[in-house]
Amino acid sequence: MNRTDKWQGASGAWQRTQRKGPVLLLAAILIAISPFIAQAKIYIDITAPQARMMPIAIYDFQGQGGREMAEVIREDLIFTGLFMYIDKASYIEAADQPCNPANWTPLGIEAVVKGAVAGDKKITASVSLYDPFENREILSKQYQSDKDLLRQLGHSIANDIYTALTGAAGIFRTRIVFVGEQGGERDLYLMDWDGHRSRKLGLKSGVILTPHWSADGSKLLYAAERGRQWNIYLLDFLQMSEKRVFTSRGVNMAGDFFPNGKAFAFSSSKDGTPDIYTFSLENNTAKKITATHGIEVSPAVSPDGSRIAFVSDRGGTPQVYLMRSDGTEVRRLTFEGTYNTSPGWSPSGDRVVFASRRGGGKNQICIVKPDGSDLMQLTDQGNNEDPSFSPDGRYIAFMSDRDRQKGIYIMRANGESQKRITPRDLKAFGPRWSPQ
Amino acid sequence: MRRFCFFLVLVVFISFGCKQRAVTQPESQPPAQKEAAKGPETVTEKKGGPGESITSKELEGKGMEGKEGMFADVHFDFDKYDIKDADKPILKNIASWMTKNGPAKLMVEGHCDERGTNEYNLALGDRRAKAVKDYLVSLGVPSSKIDTISYGEEKPLCKEQTEECWAKNRRGHFVVLGKAGK
Repeated sequence: MNRTDKWQGASGAWQRTQRKGPVLLLAAILIAISPFIAQAKIYIDITAPQARMMPIAIYDFQGQGGREMAEVIREDLIFTGLFMYIDKASYIEAADQPCNPANWTPLGIEAVVKGAVAGDKKITASVSLYDPFENREILSKQYQSDKDLLRQLGHSIANDIYTALTGAAGIFRTRIVFVGEQGGERDLYLMDWDGHRSRKLGLKSGVILTPHWSADGSKLLYAAERGRQWNIYLLDFLQMSEKRVFTSRGVNMAGDFFPNGKAFAFSSSKDGTPDIYTFSLENNTAKKITATHGIEVSPAVSPDGSRIAFVSDRGGTPQVYLMRSDGTEVRRLTFEGTYNTSPGWSPSGDRVVFASRRGGGKNQICIVKPDGSDLMQLTDQGNNEDPSFSPDGRYIAFMSDRDRQKGIYIMRANGESQKRITPRDLKAFGPRWSPQ
Repeated sequence: MRRFCFFLVLVVFISFGCKQRAVTQPESQPPAQKEAAKGPETVTEKKGGPGESITSKELEGKGMEGKEGMFADVHFDFDKYDIKDADKPILKNIASWMTKNGPAKLMVEGHCDERGTNEYNLALGDRRAKAVKDYLVSLGVPSSKIDTISYGEEKPLCKEQTEECWAKNRRGHFVVLGKAGK
């Protein structure tokens, strides 16, 4: 890793630039001309191409369950790649002592997290985030929850710490839905983004394909085969109910919601070959927007709803194409290789992620800009398919068979820190990262 | 003169800056996000948590009884959906059986090997099943008596990762529905 800043070890110090002096004057000028900037200080600029890692100390929280809670927070923050967790061995002061800058600044530690958990059935937790270099508390907050939500409470604290230091929302309370298969039975599973607390949703058996979230996270759309028929289903989390929204002869595959949740795109072979349609949930009508003699599948609606990425074999091999949401202005996006499928959008719409058959005949996760430039391959072990961006665009969930059994993996959007998050005894695929 | 103007601008900036700085010094900044005063945030489970199960509004559909194994599978080349010459006798046999067994209906299943991605494979299986159906219709079987379904790569016959196994999985499979002839 090429970073300009380097941690020098326990005896050394974090090489940081002096904030005082001319910088202060510049800051003052900035404040003068734009009083709305710099409300809260941004410690880590996550928009920088390679943000430096911030050394952070995270104490085990005091009280029962405190160690586990701190572990949740550490794992969340470390996976971001933005923090360098400094081990407990270098902490000089006791957990219940107030932060003393002299204990931290020589080590270059820029943020210190302390906290406590109390209570039996209902738990309350408090957290303090401290900046030793400015000698001030950046965050002080209390939380309460049922005891069995200890991990979620930890994720909530991690979100607040992340926001305090980066100015951006954390994704630590998001979830990933996927298709799981055990003993020949398939079901949709929902788990926390870190793979914990995975559970089945308890749908009727049958073959189920990749589910898709509505933008508000209250609904899922998926195709399932039941009674020798492919149908599209809508699952409503608010009512915990499922209903069939589209059926016809042939293959019907969801699809993707439009941002307002009132319509979705899907593919159907009801008129012969698989084509892309849009479906209005308000008046239950389907409208065909592609018409070729080949295969058109896997529509992915752009975050602003204006465009659809999809797969077509109109050029002889399956490739990713883009079009406007009304089916006009079709243009081919992928040109490398003979098999590019499963497109998905980054939340800001600046990248399309897809699975590409590369050397050795294996599928790999790739990203490309919507104008076709900056193609990047992110995986290289085994087959990797079904990519899905996290709502902040910083991570990608995907399916991989690199450990033989298909499982769900996550990685940073640059391909770093790939790790399996589903158990090895569960066949899992088709992950979709929830919205915030 | 130009230099003087520049200096003037600078002075204005600095004086503004100093004035602003007075109220934005770190010491006088309220600790960011100090929320203790608001009382603790209550952390709750999101919908779809453990213990909640989905109720389906779909009526329990009863598929027709199906009889498998009466006819051999037909096979396809990788990423292709044309009928092979070698398989045409199988289809001719099926067509003649269908014309002799009036009430019987035929379900043609299209399958793929595991390479490729699920949705595209489902579309490919659909094309395979329809290619088989079209061929049977061309042999005189009424279109209304043949239904097709694709299972893509979802129901492999053979689960090894070998070319031999993949070739077995790229198949058209036949299920006779309803009253099967004796």
